[in-house]
Amino acid sequence: MPQLLGVFEQPDHIAAAAKRLRDRGYTDMETFSPSPFPEVDDAVDEKPSGVRLFTLIGGLAGVCTGYALTLWMANDWPIMLGGKPFSSIPPYTIIAFELTILFGGLMTVLGLFLKGGLPSMKLHAAYSARFSAEDFGLVVSCRDRDVPEIDGLMREHQATEVSLVEG
Amino acid sequence: MTPPPAESVAAMIRPTPVTRDSKANRDLLRVMEGGSLGYFALVALAVGAMLAAGGVWIWQVYEGLGIAGYAHPVFWGAYIVTFVFWVGIAHAGTLISAILYLFRAKWRNAINRSAEAMTVFAVLTAAQFLGIHVGRIWKSYFILPYPNQRALWVNFKSPLLWDTFAITTYATISIVFFYVGLVPDLAIARDRATGWRKVLYTILSLGWQGTSKQWKAHNRTVLHLSGLATPLVLSVHSVVSWDFAMSIVPGWHATIFAPYFVAGAIFSGFAMVLTMMIPVRRIFALEEYITDYHFENMSRFLLLTSIIVGYAYAAEYFIAWYSQVEPEQTSFWKRAFGPYWISTWVMILCNGVFPQLLWFKKLRTNVPFLFVLSMLINVGMWFERYVIIITGLSREYDPAVWGIYTPSWPELVIVAGSFGFFCQFFLLFLKVFPVVAIAEVKELEIHAKAHGEGH
Repeated sequence: MPQLLGVFEQPDHIAAAAKRLRDRGYTDMETFSPSPFPEVDDAVDEKPSGVRLFTLIGGLAGVCTGYALTLWMANDWPIMLGGKPFSSIPPYTIIAFELTILFGGLMTVLGLFLKGGLPSMKLHAAYSARFSAEDFGLVVSCRDRDVPEIDGLMREHQATEVSLVEG
Repeated sequence: MTPPPAESVAAMIRPTPVTRDSKANRDLLRVMEGGSLGYFALVALAVGAMLAAGGVWIWQVYEGLGIAGYAHPVFWGAYIVTFVFWVGIAHAGTLISAILYLFRAKWRNAINRSAEAMTVFAVLTAAQFLGIHVGRIWKSYFILPYPNQRALWVNFKSPLLWDTFAITTYATISIVFFYVGLVPDLAIARDRATGWRKVLYTILSLGWQGTSKQWKAHNRTVLHLSGLATPLVLSVHSVVSWDFAMSIVPGWHATIFAPYFVAGAIFSGFAMVLTMMIPVRRIFALEEYITDYHFENMSRFLLLTSIIVGYAYAAEYFIAWYSQVEPEQTSFWKRAFGPYWISTWVMILCNGVFPQLLWFKKLRTNVPFLFVLSMLINVGMWFERYVIIITGLSREYDPAVWGIYTPSWPELVIVAGSFGFFCQFFLLFLKVFPVVAIAEVKELEIHAKAHGEGH
């Protein structure tokens, strides 16, 4: 299955091209972008990233762990300190708060790794150093007979170059 | 009409090789190249200071805390002062990265990377002092809740335990935040590096190639980490302040401590960012990326936090007078006119008075002035902690137990060494990681280019 790579100079051009190609039914596509541009990312897939769920689970796990840890430890070997109750919620809230942030943050990064496909051992065959300079790349997989159509569509949206990806 | 075979299309449209790189890449990656004699001299100085401190510390481990200047009733000395100082420095990075990110203040792009790096290094430096101050370093793991054969657990009602959790969480999250922001820039460096750097950046950049999925997850991650780090940064110095405020020492037992410490931390953190970045900008000719506008915005933050800190000083004195509690009143009287009066007036002048000059725009945009002022603030903020801790302890309730503490030379060597410890990491950072967030700077450039071309 051939892959076509179009190179664009501006984010709105590549976003429009990606949208157009998707409307035509070419859904197997990937973009390379030197900086974050939400319009480009949304043109490929408008679903929000699933990272949010990881943060939520991490945060909830953290708050539960924080309270469980402190309450259990204080009651496992109860020592009276300053006449305060063994299960003192206000000071334990600080521990629970810190663990909410800690677990939430670490789970968020796990989300980044899983949802962003990181770490990946191999770079895409079409990727090159120009996409960490200022160019945008759009790779579309298609059948042989669709190559001219995609080529035309990309150029219509001001692709500066269109080429076949080798390998 | 039959479509031409794919091969012939490919022959028609050969890709042109990349000859041009973006200006931001060239300018900002250049900083990492080579290293002048002056650079290595600074590295030698920093490492030397750290090694000297390390030597003194080993002697202290052997000899015991007796070599520190502790004298009854002051058993929290220069180590705790310096610990609080470095934790404070660590606050600017997360403030710039997280809070200004949530406020969509785009000017943070130029300084967020270096400020985040300083946060990480300052937390590491601060963490050293917990071990140094403990004295019996081989027992420092007692602070962690680990299962042991005595079946004892740590005391979660103690502010020192809250501190342990706050500092370790802060260290972890700031390292994670720093690294997540670095990944796209490491990919830029990977695509251009050769030799050992190529290997290093290939591993560290995790195969980043800026696909839509990666950017989408990355944007979300940065947003969520910012949302988590914002309450965290406010909590960390609050918890550090409770190490003091939860006790009943006159001058410490005050509800104002948490906001007072947080404002002071942001104040000192911004001052340290200015102290480090003004020379960096000059030496590496980064005027185009870190402009006077950025320094002016940071000096506005200095002014705002200086006013909050100055207000806190005034409020402390007012409450001491208004409380009609004699030990409280005496403690504050002795601060200003007792044996430690110099530290108190250095603190008031450097933190409360001098920064008021920033009301003048001429001075806010005068970079040499900002550099000198930021140095004075660093000094003033170290003395602020000195005043709080040392005068507080030396003038407690009963005049019969008052005493005087003077830092001993081993303590001063270790304090000086902490600056070397911090600076060696910062100097290494300048040569290994991009000092400005390139991908974010480029975002603004590409936007400007797109809108400059008839949109």
